[in-house]
Amino acid sequence: MKFSAGREALLKPLQAVIGVVERRQTMPILANVLLVARGDQLAITATDLEVELVASAEVSVEAGGEVTVPGRKLLDICRALPDGAEVAIAQSGDKVSIKSGRSKFTLATLPAAEFPTVEDINAGQRIELPQGSLARLIEKTHFSMAQQDVRYYLNGLLIETASKHIRAVATDGHRLALCQVELDGGKMPEKQVIVPRKGVLELQRLMSGEGKLGLELGSNHIRIQLEGIRFTSKLIDGRFPEYERVIPKDTANELTADRQVLRGALQRTAILSNEKYRGIRLVLRSGSMLLQAHNPEQEEAEEEVEIQYEGSDIEIGFNVNYLLDALGAIESDEVTLSVVDANSSCVLREPGNDNGKYVVMPMRL
Amino acid sequence: MTTTRQILHVDMDAFYASVEQRDRPELRGQPLVVGGDGSRGVVAAASYEVRRYGVRSAMPMREARRRCPQLVCVQPRMAHYQAVSEQVFEIFHEFTPTVEGLSLDEAFLDVSASLNLFGSAEAIALSVKDRVRERTRLSASVGVAPNKLVAKIASDLDKPDGLVVIRPEDLPGALDELPVQVIPGIGKVTLARLHEHGIRRVVDLRLAADGTLEAIFGRFATRARERAGGVDDRPVVPDRADKSISAEETFAVDLADGAELQRKLLQLVERTTRRLRDRSLMAGTVQVKIRTADFTTFTRQKTMHPPAAGTDQVYAAARQLLGDWLAGHPGAKLRLLGVGGSELAPATQADLFGQDDPRGNDKLDRAADQVRARFGAASLTRARSLDPERTG
Repeated sequence: MKFSAGREALLKPLQAVIGVVERRQTMPILANVLLVARGDQLAITATDLEVELVASAEVSVEAGGEVTVPGRKLLDICRALPDGAEVAIAQSGDKVSIKSGRSKFTLATLPAAEFPTVEDINAGQRIELPQGSLARLIEKTHFSMAQQDVRYYLNGLLIETASKHIRAVATDGHRLALCQVELDGGKMPEKQVIVPRKGVLELQRLMSGEGKLGLELGSNHIRIQLEGIRFTSKLIDGRFPEYERVIPKDTANELTADRQVLRGALQRTAILSNEKYRGIRLVLRSGSMLLQAHNPEQEEAEEEVEIQYEGSDIEIGFNVNYLLDALGAIESDEVTLSVVDANSSCVLREPGNDNGKYVVMPMRL
Repeated sequence: MTTTRQILHVDMDAFYASVEQRDRPELRGQPLVVGGDGSRGVVAAASYEVRRYGVRSAMPMREARRRCPQLVCVQPRMAHYQAVSEQVFEIFHEFTPTVEGLSLDEAFLDVSASLNLFGSAEAIALSVKDRVRERTRLSASVGVAPNKLVAKIASDLDKPDGLVVIRPEDLPGALDELPVQVIPGIGKVTLARLHEHGIRRVVDLRLAADGTLEAIFGRFATRARERAGGVDDRPVVPDRADKSISAEETFAVDLADGAELQRKLLQLVERTTRRLRDRSLMAGTVQVKIRTADFTTFTRQKTMHPPAAGTDQVYAAARQLLGDWLAGHPGAKLRLLGVGGSELAPATQADLFGQDDPRGNDKLDRAADQVRARFGAASLTRARSLDPERTG
């Protein structure tokens, strides 16, 4: 294998894939990236056995071939070379040499055949959708994913496709975020997959929000083709809870408030809530909401917010972070909050819009 | 603190041993220890009669017997000591609500606000001692000082049945003549280093050169000097909730990896989680404590998202911790295993999915806890935690 390219042509794909190169290697080869030179293309693959990223670069190939080299070292070398430098990479025996100007580096290699890659994921169909749609789904829900929960199926994002929409749901068991986008174009298959947390965060990092993407859902993998980079992740093999069941339908006690005003009041009151449990009490009365917090040092915060409300008098406690996350994800000027009673879940959303829902379970304070 | 505080440290004298001698006249005057009597037993409490032989609490029973071959050993009755302790703490609460228990037999009392009601701190200390004697026929030693640090040191100066008062005007020199290790936080290693520098008494520490203290205590140098001068601003935190809950077991025979170890682990998890559930708490962190045959102790911990008190959840975490440790120490033989929960949170955050409750297999655990409360801890256990050899 022998090829050459400008420094920047190599740097960009290397930076794109480096996130999944294992620092703590269970297998030595996972610290390497796979280089495949063919035609006028170089494909760079990195994997942690859960997420695989393949980035491509335009290079001039003198001799095709494939080999693996230490990923971080290759990136560090390219990064340290001067702007605009021309880089020549060639394999000889079990070494790879990198030459640029007066610099020369020799890297150890491991055989390409030993590098674990995911080939066909057995997806029935490939769906085209705007990148902005998927980016939005993740942005509006990812914060509700569980972390290292023993209920392993919560440590990821549910992606659900139906004929005319695609939906994302995340929950850590205390709160739930749901976002869906309507899609025009062809009819999509109905599918449900859980993408692991790490894959979701990696994907979020890779998407620019511009252009199109191709989405494939296999039985064990999800694959997303972005411009210049292909993302493949294993799926979590588990059953996501029946989330529809926990979204309250009753809107008898529904209030409407100015989103920024409510958010500001919550942020201020939160300062004196218990740092660990973040409990805050909401007292709902006709036309007003009282927010109260106190901490173990017996310090107290109280604030009143004007709301539109004609429901019953209710006092209910919440983890204020959950409310703030939801208010941060909602974009409209006003927000509605529907409460049943002090022991049942409440739902926050944009008034008159069912495409985003944030369900929060109360705290007993 | 602008105003002077008045802090009492009350320490029951040889508590478990004294309770046994009170209840069983034949043990009075005997060199008595309370503790496990197996080859692995440890002294939990030593009577004053046996302390003359150099027997101390926390000493291996074998060592205690070597020092005092005629010693008398009785098994601890923890539930009974707990009940006596509650009587004693009730007395503390008659003088102030600001009682911080350190263990069953030891507490700090902040009586600063009680002086108008009961007279001087010294008078309160005498009343506490009297009431403890009247109601429990046990003796306590009390230290009176402007802060917790000095009060605790003072209570130990005139044991048993002591009362030592150190006044604010006696500081900073009040502790000067004591050996430097009375200052908390000075362990074996630090003590050896202090001795290398000729620092043996508290006064040596209080007046040591800055450079010397920095070399020994690093960024805690100033704190160490302050402590030597009897400075301590820590408040008495009333009725502090449990910081951690744990259970551990020293094995009769060292155990290597295998089914027996897993059974022990599950038993310890059951004990810990049951106590968590009894207190309506969830553990934000799960620890596994491992002591190997050569007495090296390891702890491994894992954060729980969300906090858990269910047997299955905690067992999954504990098994992973133990498994990871064993993988790194192949062939290791374990002398002791412990399981604990800390970062305890009240179980207040409600859950969206009832049957997936992070508190665990809630109904099963609760029902099992009720059976155990009625028929004893051994009445109901998971089959996995039983030894097939013995039950087969």
